[in-house]
Amino acid sequence: MKKALLFSSLIALSALSQPVLAEELKIGLATAQTGGLAPYDAPVIEGVHIAVDEINAAGGIDGKFKIELIDKDVRSDAAQTSIATQELVDQKVSVLVLPCDADPALAAISIVASAEIPAISTCASSPTLPLVGGDYMFANFPGDNVQATVSAEWAFKEGFKSAYIIYSPDAQYTTLPLYFKEVFDKLGGKILGEDTYSIGQQDFSAIATRIAALDPQPEVIMTAAFEPDFPSLLKALRAAGVKSQMIGSDGIDSPTTFSLGDVVEGTVFTTAGFATPGSPMEAFNAKYKEVTGKASETVFNAVGYDLIKVIEAAVKKAGSTDPKAVRDAIADLEDVQGATSKITYKGTNGMPVRQVSLVRVKGGDRELIGQPSPTADLVPAPRMQ
Amino acid sequence: MEILLQQTVNAIALGGTYALLALGLAVVFSIMGLINFAHGELMTIAGYVLMYCGLAGVPFAIAAALAVGAAMLAAVLMEIIAFRPVRNASGATMLVTSFAVSMVLQVLFQNLIAARSQPVLLPQLLSDSVSIFGLVIGINKIAAIIATIVMLAFLDWFMRKQKHGIAMRAAASDFAVARLMGIRANTVISAAFALSGLLAGVAAVLWVSQRASVDPLMGFSPVLKAFIAAILGGLGSLRGAVAGGFVLGFIEIYLAAFLPASMQEFREPIGLAIVVFVMLFRPNGLIPAASLKAEKV
Repeated sequence: MKKALLFSSLIALSALSQPVLAEELKIGLATAQTGGLAPYDAPVIEGVHIAVDEINAAGGIDGKFKIELIDKDVRSDAAQTSIATQELVDQKVSVLVLPCDADPALAAISIVASAEIPAISTCASSPTLPLVGGDYMFANFPGDNVQATVSAEWAFKEGFKSAYIIYSPDAQYTTLPLYFKEVFDKLGGKILGEDTYSIGQQDFSAIATRIAALDPQPEVIMTAAFEPDFPSLLKALRAAGVKSQMIGSDGIDSPTTFSLGDVVEGTVFTTAGFATPGSPMEAFNAKYKEVTGKASETVFNAVGYDLIKVIEAAVKKAGSTDPKAVRDAIADLEDVQGATSKITYKGTNGMPVRQVSLVRVKGGDRELIGQPSPTADLVPAPRMQ
Repeated sequence: MEILLQQTVNAIALGGTYALLALGLAVVFSIMGLINFAHGELMTIAGYVLMYCGLAGVPFAIAAALAVGAAMLAAVLMEIIAFRPVRNASGATMLVTSFAVSMVLQVLFQNLIAARSQPVLLPQLLSDSVSIFGLVIGINKIAAIIATIVMLAFLDWFMRKQKHGIAMRAAASDFAVARLMGIRANTVISAAFALSGLLAGVAAVLWVSQRASVDPLMGFSPVLKAFIAAILGGLGSLRGAVAGGFVLGFIEIYLAAFLPASMQEFREPIGLAIVVFVMLFRPNGLIPAASLKAEKV
């Protein structure tokens, strides 16, 4: 009798002390922590870790699913991305996170599609990504075509009537100015010319001299160049005496841009979010500072937080960690509150509907111009490169 | 006409930077027969010194001097640590060693400093421009041209008049005989590396003052350009390296300036095709080194 009592109490005790075995949600991160994409992927993954720690500390998604992250560095290399993705698939992850640029993300697409595991790119903004990637590929950033529409509409409304674009055919993202050209043209603006450059090109003086010789000067110069190209281009243009309004896009939302001094003053760019007083992004930035001890220098930290919020919402909705169920849940998400914006995948092909912020560089800091919604009719169709 | 002049100034500035880079490779090659692919990492080191000096509020002139000094020191250390043990090995061994040094340094930068590129604070003056005879020329272009002229003049004097320079020329023409004459191998090779570090440091200051940021992999693209310029000029020949650097600068700028818009996408392949075409007629380079015995096949 005594023995039976002891036995049963032991069982009861162990049942009490051991909560229902939490299921684990494995997320595979195949992102670029080194190389050319590291300026974007590294801060995103910082944001990812903050969100995951927050969720796990609160007992996991819905109190049921603890998140386990498996980190792999793909060195900004397309081949390495597909190798890392295959390794993560073999480790039976439920969700994959792929690099920021569409091109390495696409290198993993055949693995993603055959494994039927949903994959989200950290911050690729090319609208062609989910088109090429198929049902299992999702983006996590306002599309290039949407960003270009916002900046073109702003420029036209400001009274700028002529523009010049500088783009690079080397990557999907750097062709964003071609969308700008399409919208600006449709609005009635005049495109005075266009130039191409190669990513990593050191010297922009030939282009700068050509633009400086134009008469009349373009009122706006639009480019999606990012560092180290953007500072070189901008300095070359200003040194050649070109005073046109510069418009850029999310790639220049980085500390280098804000340290350029007078040359960058007044430059306007589109990005994924802005920390207005009382906004979720302001709260996120405070949290970031609390966790890391330094101020967040780029919106890509908050974008990483968004990414986990999307996965959290999807797993909650699906009620399981089954990759197929999670994929269907992501595709059906509506108004998920992230750090930068509300995020909707429902009714899209995988390119989310998110708010675009228009920011001006002022005194070495960001100044919000507005967070306008683009006119739907003007948004160009994704263009395959 | 004015545009042509303006673009020519651009070409001289870019070509000058390429010439400094190619010279850095050529100085070492002429003596050791080694193409040092870690030359770009010397630039990265100089770049990081500029970055830290900017953060510490050191005036730019002093920061630039420190950066050049750091590149020289790093070059000498690189020779002692990595290249001295394999000095008598085959050319392939030395080449692979230089790649290894380059990769080890890149990974160290990524892990010890940052994988992300870091902004470099630069004086506003470098972004300004002046108008000379109706030409608008950026201060950093003028700085590049002046730095190139000063460096070339210094190098010419060093090689002709200075003891170590003469020793280096002797070693380049026949190392064995030079040693028989009492020239110490270690001293000459250390001096050659210090000189290449000096050239890399100066080129790095010019390079970084244009891009305003440093990242762990930034040395790769300049060393590739320098390699092309050195081959074009004639491997191992110092005058050839200068000529190759300027020709490459002119090819790049003139193509970017005057190729029709529809052809601009193919600018780089066209530029390299021109280089190949020149090599067809001058397989040993524009100004070949006397010691290079390669022959047209």
